[in-house]
Amino acid sequence: MNTFNFKVGLFALATLLLGAAFLAYLLYARGYFENTYRLQLAAASADGVVPGVPLVFSGIEIGNVTSLGFNEGGGIVIQLELPERHAKWLKQDSIYTLDKPLIGSVKISVDSGDLAGAALPENSTMLLLTPDINKEIPVLIAQVKAILVNVEHLTRKESDVNATLANLKTVTGRMTGEYGMLESILGSPEQARAVTDSLDKTRALMIKLDGLAGKMDQWLFAQDGVADSTRESLAQIRLMLNDAQSSLKKADEMMTNAVAISADVKAGTQDIAALRAEIDDAVRKANALVNEINKMWPFARDPEVKLP
Amino acid sequence: MNFLAASIESIGAKIVRGLAVGYGLLAFLTEALLALLDRNTWNRATFDVVVKQIYFTAVQILPVFLTYVLVISWLIITIILTTARDFGLSAFASEMTIRVLVLELLPFLTALYIALRSGSAINTEIALMRVNNELDALAHCKVPPMPFEFLPRLISGVISVVALASLACLLAVLLGYLAIYGLNASGFEYYTRTISKILDFKIVAGLFFKCALFGLAVTAIPITAGLETPKKLFMVPVSVLRGMMKVFFAIMVIEVVSLALKYI
Amino acid sequence: MAAVAELGDDVARVGFDLPLRANLSALDNIALIPLYQRHYGAAEASQQAQALLTLLGHADIASLRDPDMTPSQRFVTQLARALILKRPRLVIDRPGATLYDVPYPRFIRQLADQANTIGTWEIFDFSWNQALYSE
Repeated sequence: MNTFNFKVGLFALATLLLGAAFLAYLLYARGYFENTYRLQLAAASADGVVPGVPLVFSGIEIGNVTSLGFNEGGGIVIQLELPERHAKWLKQDSIYTLDKPLIGSVKISVDSGDLAGAALPENSTMLLLTPDINKEIPVLIAQVKAILVNVEHLTRKESDVNATLANLKTVTGRMTGEYGMLESILGSPEQARAVTDSLDKTRALMIKLDGLAGKMDQWLFAQDGVADSTRESLAQIRLMLNDAQSSLKKADEMMTNAVAISADVKAGTQDIAALRAEIDDAVRKANALVNEINKMWPFARDPEVKLP
Repeated sequence: MNFLAASIESIGAKIVRGLAVGYGLLAFLTEALLALLDRNTWNRATFDVVVKQIYFTAVQILPVFLTYVLVISWLIITIILTTARDFGLSAFASEMTIRVLVLELLPFLTALYIALRSGSAINTEIALMRVNNELDALAHCKVPPMPFEFLPRLISGVISVVALASLACLLAVLLGYLAIYGLNASGFEYYTRTISKILDFKIVAGLFFKCALFGLAVTAIPITAGLETPKKLFMVPVSVLRGMMKVFFAIMVIEVVSLALKYI
Repeated sequence: MAAVAELGDDVARVGFDLPLRANLSALDNIALIPLYQRHYGAAEASQQAQALLTLLGHADIASLRDPDMTPSQRFVTQLARALILKRPRLVIDRPGATLYDVPYPRFIRQLADQANTIGTWEIFDFSWNQALYSE
C-alpha cells in the first residue's frame, strides 16, 4: 500500500507540475505577464473586421482586434491590443492595411518602412487603409483601360458611331433633298427620344467623373495619405479619367450633332438604336468604375480622420 | 405487411432498449454524484481505494503508454510535416500538428487505451461480482457498494484520462517542436504564438471537459453493463462485449459532439 | 430452503450464497460494515474487525483474501462479518456447503463459545445431517 501511495503521489505531483508549467507557458504565450499595448485604427468601413482579427507584422501575428465602434463623425474606430514586447514594431510612419485575401482569413497588416523611426506612442489613432489599394490598383487600371478602349472605339473616325452619324447625314440629306417627305419615311418619335436619353446619361457620367477627379486630386495631395508607389498609380488613373472625360466630351458633341440632325428629321433609324445600345454599354461600364473608385475612397466618408 | 410490422417493432424495441440503457446510466451517475457529495463517503478507506485504482489505471501503464504516444505522435507529425512541405504549406504544419494531435487524436486514443485496458477489466469484475452473488452479500449486510467499489473507479477513470491525455499532449507539443525546428530555440517565438493562437481559455477548458467525459464514459458504462449481467457465468463475456460496444459508441459520440461544438 | 433467504432485516445470515468480496482481505471484508454503515473512521473500523477475528481465534487470517483461505477460514470470516452486523438473530444456512473439510457442528459450537454473543445462533441444515449434531 505504501508503494501504491508513493507511486501515485509521484505521478500526481509530476502531472500537476507539468500541467502547471504548461499553463504558465500558455499564459506567457498569451501575454498575461506583460502590459498590453493599445492602438486605435480609423477606417471608412469595417467590412470583414471582427474582434479577434489578427494584426500581422511581416507575416507574423503580433496582436488582435478587441472591439469595433464609431467615432463622432460616423467613422469606424477599431481597437487593437498587442503585448508590449511587440509594440516596438509600430512606428509613426507605419502603414496599416486591411488584407482580405482570396483564400484565408481577414487580417490587418502593418508595414513599418523605417524600423529606426520614431516609436508610436500608446493609444494613438492611425489610419486603416481598407481594401488594400496597392493590390487593387492594377485591377482598377485594367478596368479604366477597357473603358477607354470602349470610348475610343465609339469616337474613332471609322467607328460605328461615326459611320452611323455619316449614314444618318446622307440619309437625311437625301431625304430632304430628293423627296422632302421626311415624316413618312422616318420612324416613330420614341426612337428619337432614345437618342436623347443616351445623351443625358453621358452627361450625367461626365459630371460624376468630374467629381471623382476632384476627389482624386484631394487624395493625391493629402499629406502622407498614400505611399509613393500608390500615388503614382493614382496619378495614372487620374490621367486616364481625364482621357475618358475628353473622349466622352467628344462623344457628347457628336451625339448632340446627331440629335440635331435627327431633330431635323424628327426620328431615328435602326442604326440609331444600335448606337444607343453601344453608348449605354459604355456609360454603364464607366458608372460601375466610378462606383468602384468611390467605394475605395478612404477620405470620402471619414473627414474626421487626422493624420499624425 | 407482416415484414413491415415486424421491422417497425424491432426498431421500436431497439429504441426502447437504448433509452433504458441511457436512463440506467443517468440514474447510476446521479447516484454516484450524490455519493460524491455525501460527507460520509469521504474517509481514509475510500481514499485508499481511489489511490489504488489510479495506480492500476494510470501509473502502472505509464511507461508503455508514453512509448505508445511517442511512436504515434512522431509518426503523425512526420506525415503532417512531409505532406505540408510537399504542398508548400509548411507554415501551417505546426498549427495542424497541434490541432490534430493535441485537440483530437491524443485524448481520443487515451480514452480508447483506458477503455481497452481498464474499462474491460471493470466490466468483467463487476459482472463477476454480480454473478458470484457478492453484490447480494453486500446488500444483505446493508453496505452500499457505491463508495468503495464504483465511485473510486469513476474518480480514477476521470483523473487517469485527464492526466494521461495531458501528459500525452505535452509530449506531442514537445515532439512537434523538435520535429519542426530541431534542437534549437530559433522557432520558440513562432511556435509559442501558434500555440497561444490555438489554445485559448475556452479551448483548453473544453479539452479538459472532453477528457473528463471520456474518463466517465470508459468507467461508468462498463460498471452499468456489469450490473446488468444476468446471473449466469456464461453471460459474463457477453456482458463485457456489450459494455465495450457501448463504451466505443459513447467515445465516438463525445468526440463528434465536441467537434461539432468547436467548428460549428 | 428459500425461506432462509427471505428472512427479515433483523437476521444476520451466514451461507454459501453470501460470499465474501473476492478482492478484499478478510479484515477489509469485515471492516466494511462499521466503515460504510456506521461511518466509523477507517482505523477504528479495522480495529473492530481485528478484535472480532481475534475473539474467534483467527487473528492470523486478517490479510488473506477469499481465494487463499481454507473453507474453515472462509467460514470464520463470513461469521465475523455476520456478527459485526449486531443483529438479534444469527442464522447459519447449510454450513456443510462451506465447511466441507471439518466436522462442522463441533467447529461451530467452539466458535459460538469463543464469541460469547448475546443473541441466538440458529443452524438450518438438511434433515439427513441431524445425526451429526447429536455427538
